[in-house]
Amino acid sequence: MATKIEWETEMDKALSRAKSEGKEILLDFYNPG
Amino acid sequence: MDAVTYPDEGVIEYINANLIPLRLMHDDKRHAADYKIKWTPTLIVLDTDGHESHRTVGFLAPDELIPALQLGVGKADFEGGRFDRAIAAFDQLLGDHARSSAAPEAIFFRGVSTYKHTDNPRALREAYEKLNAEFPDSEWAKKAYPYRLIE
Repeated sequence: MATKIEWETEMDKALSRAKSEGKEILLDFYNPG
Repeated sequence: MDAVTYPDEGVIEYINANLIPLRLMHDDKRHAADYKIKWTPTLIVLDTDGHESHRTVGFLAPDELIPALQLGVGKADFEGGRFDRAIAAFDQLLGDHARSSAAPEAIFFRGVSTYKHTDNPRALREAYEKLNAEFPDSEWAKKAYPYRLIE
């Protein structure tokens, strides 16, 4: 099992994966500061 | 979220198995304005075309994040007309997290999805009855109030 969330960092890549894998996207807008 | 919720084993397992996780900076020039981001953390569940189905703002503990995401998945299926899948998502939420903050909205949309899937309006009254019994002060009990009249 993965030990962390495997985040994408580009919208286009996430959308492409969402369509091919048939999954919704969790979009997290965050502020690391 | 990074200190408490995202390292949680159950959260990692749920997100990696059920969603495409995408992280963008709050001031991302291309997308922050499109999604009207004003505060962080803002979490949005998007359908496969990038359309928003559900949003939360502020910290969520692991036992609130997972049902919030399940609700978003169910609403994406509802909005896409995949009512059987929506019902399954809401049932999973209500089975695993029956007292979570997301539960009342899930009960409401489970009833609506069941009605849309079966054409049986009794599902709407059952949703009202469940909300009235379990979450009588919730906004979703108020929204379902007219359904009490369905025979």
